[in-house]
Amino acid sequence: MSSAVPATEATPNTESRLAAEGVTLAYGDARVVHEVSLEIPPASVTAIVGPNGCGKSTLLRGLARLHSPASGTVLLDGKDIHERSSKDVARELGILPQSPIAPGGITVRDLVGRGRTPHLKALRPWQDSDTRAVNDALKATGLTGLAERSVDSLSGGQRQRAWIALALAQQTELLLLDEPTTFLDIAHQYEVLDLVHGLAADGRTIVVVLHDLAQAARYADHLVLMSAGLILARGNPNDVLTADRVRAAFGLPVTVVSDPITGTPLIVPTGAPAGRSIPTKEIPA
Amino acid sequence: MTTLLPDAPLAPAASLTRPRRRLGRVARVTIILAVVALAVIIVSLWMGTVSVSLWDTLRAAVGIDTGTGADFIVGQLRAPRVYTAALVGALLAASGALMQSIARNPLASPDLLGISSGAAAGAVLCIYLTQNTSSLALAPWAVLGAMVAAALVIVLGSRGSIEPFRLIIAGIGIEFVATAATTLILTKIPDNIVPQAYAWIVGSTNARTWEHVWMGAASCLVILPIGLFMVRRLRVLEMGDDLAAGLGLRPGRLRFVALVIAAIAAGLAAALVGPIAFIALVAPAIARRITRSPGITVAASALMGAILTVAADLAARELLGSIQLPVGLYTSLIGGPYLIYLIVRSKGQFQ
Repeated sequence: MSSAVPATEATPNTESRLAAEGVTLAYGDARVVHEVSLEIPPASVTAIVGPNGCGKSTLLRGLARLHSPASGTVLLDGKDIHERSSKDVARELGILPQSPIAPGGITVRDLVGRGRTPHLKALRPWQDSDTRAVNDALKATGLTGLAERSVDSLSGGQRQRAWIALALAQQTELLLLDEPTTFLDIAHQYEVLDLVHGLAADGRTIVVVLHDLAQAARYADHLVLMSAGLILARGNPNDVLTADRVRAAFGLPVTVVSDPITGTPLIVPTGAPAGRSIPTKEIPA
Repeated sequence: MTTLLPDAPLAPAASLTRPRRRLGRVARVTIILAVVALAVIIVSLWMGTVSVSLWDTLRAAVGIDTGTGADFIVGQLRAPRVYTAALVGALLAASGALMQSIARNPLASPDLLGISSGAAAGAVLCIYLTQNTSSLALAPWAVLGAMVAAALVIVLGSRGSIEPFRLIIAGIGIEFVATAATTLILTKIPDNIVPQAYAWIVGSTNARTWEHVWMGAASCLVILPIGLFMVRRLRVLEMGDDLAAGLGLRPGRLRFVALVIAAIAAGLAAALVGPIAFIALVAPAIARRITRSPGITVAASALMGAILTVAADLAARELLGSIQLPVGLYTSLIGGPYLIYLIVRSKGQFQ
């Protein structure tokens, strides 16, 4: 599950279940995403990257039915996602939003158990199958031993794993994660990314918004580069992340080198910090 | 609360080793609270200037003819007052618990969001227009006043859907307006009914009758089950709108329904005894602390509200001998310092 180096080619053997067709998303009159069309390949990791405010989190929220498009449609299994009930969608698609609030004193098990919400009804209380789903989610995230601990007492990485476990307990094949590595130190970032990659290897379809381009290139099977509400490029990370495109998207002059471990693209800024000289010989051609 | 070494394996030993229990802490504490509530009610029925034996008290309290003075002292004077206090306390606490949950703020309550003042304004308006001061006649007006205040708070506190922070700011504004309206109407009321109308400034449990008890019981029978039914969803909503929506809930609708229920509960409570301050604020906060519930708790809050209100009513009756002060004064005397304590203790923790 925690192989450090992800497989570069995942062979999609089923059809895409989630797609955006000409989707425009807006906050009031301010359009954030402009007529974007995107198919999410199944059983793989799709990473959405781009500068702050480019609309990547908004697009993810749109894909998860949290934001109604001003125009266009989001299709889940070929049907307009807004024509299905919120609960119905929640049984097919899980989303972990940015900075959810952990209730004070809640245990890991209780937190993860709340992922069962879409499966519970007033007359169908908690059952053995719910307990099993929670146990499976705890196991998949390596939290079984910490299940009775208070979430407040966990490290940042453990806490993020607990939130992912909550989404896993929802038992959806589609899982959308909004910047799951934010506020984590580098070791915990990779801990979470390894987990995410393992989930895709088990057949789940993952869409993840990430900030770090090198991490996205390393872990994504499909990379979506956004800029100013548009998709600039998508596809294999090696093809998407060229120096020109990164410069166009972020306005930062960069050069692209090969990650010495994985061979995936690594972005290196070519500008030097003010006042420091650049040893020109070290810049690769 | 901050641990310097978040990864230290020894951090909170207690929660680490505690085994899984059959009955959760919340359930156990709720049962204990129910027992305490019953005990406080019995003590309050039993105590008073006229002494009655405990056995006669218990029998008279449930309507059994004892053939002694207890039939009147307990059955007609104390029991209606004590039961009304308990039921009102439960209503107020449930209302406060719902509001604190949807506002994600421990300071939200019908008194601070202007709902109780709206109810008082409605009741005083009814007295002014009809010269009638009976609770049954006032009830629809109080509930209407609470609903109008709640509607204004919802409208002003929403942008598309209700936003917790806007809700509180709007509530504080409505509170001032409703209180001013109550005072204004009071000045217009004929002198002979001013004393009764004045009870709408500070709540009072004086001279309640069985009529009040039945109305309170009916209110609780409607409000509390709905509140309990919503608990599971509200606990998820407390974790954030996006997370709740991702789990198949409808945050806007859920918050709207909870606020309407909370407003009705506060309006009914106000119709029965006037605006008793702070119970709705303090009871859910204490209930949450002692149950250590990760999220709203309606049952424990309602029981805690009953305990506090009956205790405050007992104090109002007995503490100063013949001088009977309104119960709302005592709850303010307890609640005010508690509110200050909450703010001082949690400095920097309010998001």
